[in-house]
Amino acid sequence: MSESAVTIDRLSRHFGQFKAVDDISLTVEQGETFGFLGANGAGKTTTIRMLTGLLLPTSGVGTVAGYDVFTESEQIKRSIGYMSQKFSLYPDLSGRDNMRFYGAAYDLDSARITRRIGELSERLGLAEFLDRPSGALPTGWRQRLALGVALLHEPRILFLDEPTSGVDPVFRRRFWEVLYELAAEGVTVFVTTHYMDEAEYCDRISIMHRGRIVELGRPFDIVRQHGQANLEETFVHLISAEESRNA
Amino acid sequence: MQVRALRGLIRKEFIQVFRDRNMLRIIFAMPIIQLLIFGYVANTEVRQIALDVYDFDQSAVSRHYVDALEAGGYFTPQPAPFSILDIEERFKRNEAEMAMIIPPDFTRGLTGGSIATVGLIADGSNSSTAAIGLGYAARISTQYARDVKDVAIPLELRYQVLYNPEMESVYFMVPGIVAALLTMVTVMLTSMAIVRERERGTLEQLMVTPMSNWTLLLGKLIPFAVLGMFEMVLALTFGILWFNVPFAGSVPLLFALSGLYLLTTLGIGLFFSTITSTQQQAMFFAWFFSVFALLTSGLFTPVSNMPMWTQYLTWANPMRFFLDIARGIMMRGAGFLDLIVQVRALVLFAVVVMGISVLRFSKRMA
Amino acid sequence: MRKIYYIARKEIYHILRDPRSLMIVIAMPVLMTFLYGFAINMDIENIRLAVVDYDRSTESKDLIDAFYSSTYFSEPRAAVDQGDSEAILKSGDAHAVLVIRPGYGEALRTGREFALGMFIDGSDNNIAAAVQNYSQGLLLTSALELLPAGQVSGGIRLTTQVLYNPDLKSAQFFVPGLIALILVMISALLTSITIAREKETGTMEQLLTAPVTPVQILIGKIIPYVFIALLDGALIVVIARIVFDVPFLGSHLLMLLYSLIYIGASLALGILISSLVQTQQVAMMFALTATMLPSVMLSGFIFAIKNMPPVLHGISYIIPARYFVRIIRGIMLKGAGAEALIFQGLALVGLMLIMMTIAARKFKMKVA
Repeated sequence: MSESAVTIDRLSRHFGQFKAVDDISLTVEQGETFGFLGANGAGKTTTIRMLTGLLLPTSGVGTVAGYDVFTESEQIKRSIGYMSQKFSLYPDLSGRDNMRFYGAAYDLDSARITRRIGELSERLGLAEFLDRPSGALPTGWRQRLALGVALLHEPRILFLDEPTSGVDPVFRRRFWEVLYELAAEGVTVFVTTHYMDEAEYCDRISIMHRGRIVELGRPFDIVRQHGQANLEETFVHLISAEESRNA
Repeated sequence: MQVRALRGLIRKEFIQVFRDRNMLRIIFAMPIIQLLIFGYVANTEVRQIALDVYDFDQSAVSRHYVDALEAGGYFTPQPAPFSILDIEERFKRNEAEMAMIIPPDFTRGLTGGSIATVGLIADGSNSSTAAIGLGYAARISTQYARDVKDVAIPLELRYQVLYNPEMESVYFMVPGIVAALLTMVTVMLTSMAIVRERERGTLEQLMVTPMSNWTLLLGKLIPFAVLGMFEMVLALTFGILWFNVPFAGSVPLLFALSGLYLLTTLGIGLFFSTITSTQQQAMFFAWFFSVFALLTSGLFTPVSNMPMWTQYLTWANPMRFFLDIARGIMMRGAGFLDLIVQVRALVLFAVVVMGISVLRFSKRMA
Repeated sequence: MRKIYYIARKEIYHILRDPRSLMIVIAMPVLMTFLYGFAINMDIENIRLAVVDYDRSTESKDLIDAFYSSTYFSEPRAAVDQGDSEAILKSGDAHAVLVIRPGYGEALRTGREFALGMFIDGSDNNIAAAVQNYSQGLLLTSALELLPAGQVSGGIRLTTQVLYNPDLKSAQFFVPGLIALILVMISALLTSITIAREKETGTMEQLLTAPVTPVQILIGKIIPYVFIALLDGALIVVIARIVFDVPFLGSHLLMLLYSLIYIGASLALGILISSLVQTQQVAMMFALTATMLPSVMLSGFIFAIKNMPPVLHGISYIIPARYFVRIIRGIMLKGAGAEALIFQGLALVGLMLIMMTIAARKFKMKVA
């Protein structure tokens, strides 16, 4: 049976009174590139953390790669790659040391780690930066290195939390080329972003506001449905409409 | 057990420690500096007390008496050309610590039938020098008077000091420094290392790996246990080579019980890391604990000498028990059964502290 | 000035927003005052003494009573049978064992000379030394009572008077010195760590690109710690007064002045350390070894400086705490004025100026 990569049904996460994620539902199919959009503080990072097993949901149902987010977070972690918003590699270690370390953390044997470092450094063009302290690298290279670490164990699903913030357009373009290649190989990409041009490259997107999903579908369909010129206009239109409704 | 992941974590931790030149220097220098300073300085014996002598007798006998005071090296008497009204001023300027007034009838009193009275004034702001100085003066005076009058005392107390017959304070301090180093290094480094990962966001990245809680814990604790042990070996070796500190008991026993002690300090470090969110906070907690641990362990003054409530407080201090163990093994050659009380206390500590910390330390974020 | 004020305000927010750290900064001096005041007592009492009495005469009972009725000696942890003294000491149940051989009572009654034996655990030096002092004294008093009356007269009687701290309480000695320790801790340790923290998190770079000079940043960051240090110092003075009856005889203003000079020197040390390191962890270890340890060990705070070997004695001259400890004790306990402390004062000012110069130069070099 062809299982969906991510299914969420009425998932919520509360912090005391505050509903960071409020009753959201969506499904992401295997091999899909899914854009997870929303204003700052809309609950995107909280959702990603629940899906990656970092945070326990308050209520609802969720599966990632067929595993339950409540009870099977360890199996989930084996099947996914994760790249967080903040650069979260060891700045005092070289890229190679970082990769070796995370490879071991995913329980890969050292022959496989060496092979993967070779493959990824070629694919991401990291070779000449691999032996410098990663904290001293320019942002773009750091993000590529972080992607390399997330891909080490050849995950079927990739969670990326604003992977390209603060990166120049040329780098962003190359970064997305890699993501396309991955998608073509059947990897599911679940990505949050603030760049609407990036969102337009996605198969489907969702737009979140104050913990709820206010729109879900193909970028082109959403734009047309709201009668706007492009995705950026649509996004602004949607969020301001929500704001005025809440006010 | 995820052997590969564990090995990877430990390797990473060591790379991080050894890549920082300053850290490396400190790891080697700290035990040696501490040992040198404590070894040479931590000596509660007081010698060469600055004593102003106002000798109004000016006789051969009084001069002889002052010589007797100087002889043991306890006092450095200096004839005072000042008025006795200056005594307080001399104390305030720290030019004298004690003053002695020998009255004009000193010789007559001592050699005749009456008693010679000598005035002794001490600067009590340094209470230990004052107390010890008064004791010395009394002992030397009694001895001197007895010699002059040729009186024999029929009772005699013969001492035998076991384990450290020359009463070298270094021998007594080295086990203490070993205990202090193990405590400070492990509690501080452990708590800070985990919080640093949280502060930098790398903990989040670690948490999405399939590494189990136990692997992560062990991977964070083992490097600091090794480092603590290394500091201990360094301090011990240096102490033995430089100060010729004897080692009476069993080396394996000391290592085994140090391992047990490390479980408590690592547990405390881990606990601090679970209740703090920045390195600064973690450091404060670790430091707060270290001050408490050092002062109530008996390192400087014996536990039995503290007021009752402080003595009860020392039961909350694992270092107190480890200090007993370290001194017991190194100086008295104590065996496992001699130290059973301390061992039990440490086991209890380790189980409770580690238990609480491990329960609190979870791979989820909230 | 305004810029400095804003930086200082930011630093104060940092401190206030973190109540746990603030609590520790306040609780630390309190804890240390209580521990040093109560736990560290150089007058050794309650020494656990085991007695093995083979004589079992009324005289031996009297002697044992004399030992236990003094405050210096107390009963051992476990009851002692007529056993092996060494085993008793090894287990740590007693610090010393007094062995009264048979014939003690007999010897006293007939006036024969007699020797008693005492085994002492040398693994705690302080106790071992105290046992010898006290037991000798106790024995001497009981022996003197046995001598014919005429022989005692003609001795030397010492009339003693202790100024400033007549009861010779350890707390009066330690607690004022503690101020020196706390001030260096707050000034050198905390500042070196906050600066290292800004470096580690990358915010230092951010600050340096703002239109403020490095010196302004430094001053702004430091000012809050000066206040915390002074607050802690005042806290100790108050606790010393209320809990330990430590007087404050001298001038408060003079004390404040010297404290500021001392804080200046310590801050310079903190800045110096922070210019040498990159991470908070290293800053902390560095500050502990380079400032706390010497301030405790080489300042005369606990151990007499003049008994130190020449090298360490020499090193003590460049440690600000050495002078400041004397100044505090002089002002608080003896009511000493500026003229009595002129040497210490000048030395402190000199050290402060030297350290500030070095720190400023180092800091500028790092920035440039």
